Amino acid sequence: MLLLAIGLIVASRTGVLAPLENVLATPLNAAAGAFQQVALRLSLGLGDLADFQSLQQRNAELEEALARLQAEVVDLREINNDYGRLAQLLDYTTNAQNQEFVTADVIAVDQTSALRSIAINRGTRDGIAIGVPVVTPQGLVGRIIEVGANASRVLLITDLSSYVSARLQTTRAEGTVNGQVSGNLLMTFIPLGEDVREGDIVLTSGLGGNFPPDLVIGQVTSTRQAELFQEAQVRSLINFDTLEIVLVMTNFQPIDLSVFEQEDGN
Amino acid sequence: MGHFLAFPILGLAAILQVTFMPQIRLFGGQPDLIMLLVMAWIITSPLEEAVTWAFVGGIAVDLLSAAPRGSSVLGLLILVFIIEQLKGQLVDLNIIVVFGLVLLGTLIQQITLLTILALNGFTIRPIEQFFYIVVPSLIYNLIFSLPAIGIVRRFKRVFSPRRRLSRRTINE
Repeated sequence: MLLLAIGLIVASRTGVLAPLENVLATPLNAAAGAFQQVALRLSLGLGDLADFQSLQQRNAELEEALARLQAEVVDLREINNDYGRLAQLLDYTTNAQNQEFVTADVIAVDQTSALRSIAINRGTRDGIAIGVPVVTPQGLVGRIIEVGANASRVLLITDLSSYVSARLQTTRAEGTVNGQVSGNLLMTFIPLGEDVREGDIVLTSGLGGNFPPDLVIGQVTSTRQAELFQEAQVRSLINFDTLEIVLVMTNFQPIDLSVFEQEDGN
Repeated sequence: MGHFLAFPILGLAAILQVTFMPQIRLFGGQPDLIMLLVMAWIITSPLEEAVTWAFVGGIAVDLLSAAPRGSSVLGLLILVFIIEQLKGQLVDLNIIVVFGLVLLGTLIQQITLLTILALNGFTIRPIEQFFYIVVPSLIYNLIFSLPAIGIVRRFKRVFSPRRRLSRRTINE
């Protein structure tokens, strides 16, 4: 029996069982999708009740922030208009304009075990492939690690095994954002001379070819000097516990750099 | 009957495990419903039924998780065989015994999962994960263990055929 279980693990990793897994997972994923909606509604409802006293204060703060941001939006629109004209002149199209997205519902959350992942209700039938990035308007969520016909699994950027090449928006300093056991993000390998400040926005750099550049990862909350480099705690703008809908970037093709490693080995 | 009951009960438990349970998370830990139900079934049932429960429960939870398929099956089967060995030595099923089995089950499940993840190239930090995931999960499992045993006993009472003994049989 134990050997059978070990055989199952090996067969699963090699992909031999993929068709059978798809058949078995389809009804479970469908049911999980329905339950997930109820669980989130319940959780958010209870959370709102518990937070009722602080909501009024929060509302006032948000209204103030809204007024400030509206003024900022006006300025940014002006800048955007200027940029659009200049880009047209240079016949330059940004990556963002070329990106294609598929909307997906989150149907299961697996954030508490040793792996932090979510399941979504889109798969190969919707053009999703392994490695493509998953985002929300607030920023990067993770990347696809498993695809079935009707469902996929996303490894969150908060997972221990997740490494994202990143840069700071202001200084363009490069580093790597890595998930922590607690679910927080840590940006490491920032050169010592670089100026890193609380509140700096962290973006994907595109180095390594796993993610397109300039996706928002989060915001620096604190910094620390190590011997050879700097580290920064990064807070994602996304609440991974209450994710409901995500966007899968279907036309991004991750670049496999392992071919160079093999050549080096030879 | 026990073999067939595994499918609806553990299927539902696996879905609750990935939908409702993350909403009551304590640090990185949450109740392991599948492990608790399988453990409760092992205590009160023959080995063959317990093995079916371990297999069905493990597959159901692995299909909804990013861990390699079979990881939970392996952990649950190890748990089944260890408890089967211990069953002969247990005089009474009191609360201390239940808590001991929950401690054992939680550790076996988590250690098996972390080992398989490490062997498959995932990053693990055992000490950090022990305090952030294993300990809170253990606390939750201890809290949920008695209701889980109660649920399993109720199911067994409802679905198991009762032995009807006549007065004559009793006298004999």
